[in-house]
Amino acid sequence: MIELQQVTKRFGNTLAADAIDLRINQGEFCVLVGTSGCGKSTTLRMINRLIPHSSGLLTIEGQEISQLDEQQLRRRIGYAIQSTGLFPHWPVARNISLVPRLLGWSEARVTERVEELLELLNLPYAEFAHKYPSELSGGQAQRVGVARALAGDPDILLMDEPFGALDPITRETLQNELLRIQRKIHKTLVFVTHDMDEALKLASQIVVMDQGKIIQQASPAELLLNPANDFVAQLLGGEDRGLKQAGLLRVAERMLPLPGPNSLDQAPAIQLHDSLRQALSIMLWHQCQQLRVYEGDSLVGYLPLDRIIRADSHV
Amino acid sequence: MSNRKRLLFWGLPLFWGMCLFLATLGLPWLEELFRQIAPGHRQVIYSRDSFALLLGNHLLLVGLAALISISLGLASAVFVTRPYGRDFLPLVTQVASMGQTFPPVAVLALAVPLLGFGALPTIMALSLYGLLPIVRNTLVGIHSIDPALLESARGMGMSPLQVLWQVEMPLAANIIIGGIRTSVTINIATAAIGSTIGATTLGDPVISGLVNGNTAYVLQGAILIGLLAVTADSCLDRLQQWVSPRMDSRT
Ligand SMILES: Nc1ncnc2c1ncn2[C@@H]1O[C@H](COP(=O)(O)OP(=O)(O)OP(=O)(O)O)[C@@H](O)[C@H]1O
Ligand SMILES: [Mg+2]
Repeated sequence: MIELQQVTKRFGNTLAADAIDLRINQGEFCVLVGTSGCGKSTTLRMINRLIPHSSGLLTIEGQEISQLDEQQLRRRIGYAIQSTGLFPHWPVARNISLVPRLLGWSEARVTERVEELLELLNLPYAEFAHKYPSELSGGQAQRVGVARALAGDPDILLMDEPFGALDPITRETLQNELLRIQRKIHKTLVFVTHDMDEALKLASQIVVMDQGKIIQQASPAELLLNPANDFVAQLLGGEDRGLKQAGLLRVAERMLPLPGPNSLDQAPAIQLHDSLRQALSIMLWHQCQQLRVYEGDSLVGYLPLDRIIRADSHV
Repeated sequence: MSNRKRLLFWGLPLFWGMCLFLATLGLPWLEELFRQIAPGHRQVIYSRDSFALLLGNHLLLVGLAALISISLGLASAVFVTRPYGRDFLPLVTQVASMGQTFPPVAVLALAVPLLGFGALPTIMALSLYGLLPIVRNTLVGIHSIDPALLESARGMGMSPLQVLWQVEMPLAANIIIGGIRTSVTINIATAAIGSTIGATTLGDPVISGLVNGNTAYVLQGAILIGLLAVTADSCLDRLQQWVSPRMDSRT
């Protein structure tokens, strides 16, 4: 568990972090959002002491981090940044093995770990282990960056806009992979982004910041339902909020059991785990009011428009 | 690297080294040729000291000076790029760039009133002058490293020394050796002027030739100094390529 109590960081006259109170539980996916310069990166970097906090208490598992050995602390915390920070003079495998080596793992264990991580991030060992960072695409480099952050098997992972510079498709692939990995290995994640859709998609807790202060801290659904003020509502996309909310809900939650009406034969198909936002988009596109719901190849139900709009609607 | 490749790689420095070696031993054999160049003189081959001795002495002076300037230059540049030495960065940067505008002869001229005549003041002057390109290039090399790299190095839990040796030095190596190369090449030429203040160098025949109007002497000194400079320069050029870390997997 990471706990910040009244944590403040001053750079000269700027308050980059202003009396931050934040509690991030084990296994939580916490996403910091806010406009540029609001103190997201500063807050993140204070957790691994790249930036020392000016005042307040910052504890990990109950221990004030300024009391801990700086290097030991950082080896226990994975860190990935937007520009990847991969060492250009080291091949991929050597880059990933950095923290395990610092931790003094045996050569055999290090190699095994590198193989395991490359596989986890869908980078075939034979193809990528010996490449240099300059030979990777942006998305591949980001994957290696994430693998490197995970290498020492840290309990905590800090990520500062790790997918910021990628095209939407690669970005979405990596987001899905991160979610898959998080479900599998259950780290505590602190993630910075200024993309609200990314935050809504990934987070279990969203922390909205503005000018060094925390404005609101809530789950994605709660945030959409009750934004604390106009600033948060604005950040959530104003009028688009309804769509964003639909993006969080799965078709499975609203679909109705078979048999449907006779006209169903003509209806377009959608997958069970897709979002209501996707369902709505398909309906708009095909100008229809119902969809057939599939799980894989088998038809499992149907979804009428009214059910997207209201959960308690019965056709 | 295969033997053949290695030979090709070091071929040019080897070639210049051979030329230098042959010239050092073989110049006296060209007496007839030099008699054409300096007809009026009874003696046309410089013989107060053997060329081998002059070359050895010259190398010793430049080598010692290089050793001093490399260690001092690296140490001071590394110091001012650490958090605890950052206050001295502007001072050192300014001195390093100002020093570059100073002509090498003036450095020697200033050394005499301070240190007297002989080899010692020459070494001092050479190492001071040679310090500047090394400091400057080391600073440039370290500052040219992407700050995000250093941040992630620290963020991963590398100690300051590990960051220095495993990240900063390898990535700056190319530029640093470039500075050493400039420093040594300039000093090979400058050391010759050391003859005017009483050091024994390849400048001796040149000075003596100039004083007596003996063009043959001047030419002999100049040939050897020139060959020494190209040999050293091409050696360091190869060293520069050799220490630069590879950044791709192509062979
Ligand atoms: N090393 C520093 N020295 C001085 N001021 C700094 C430093 N780092 C950050 N700041 C200031 O602190 C404030 C917060 O910066 P921070 O990098 O945390 O913002 P951010 O939320 O990450 O922004 P972005 O989305 O643009 O990355 C800014 O006003 C910035 O100018
Ligand atoms: Mg930032």
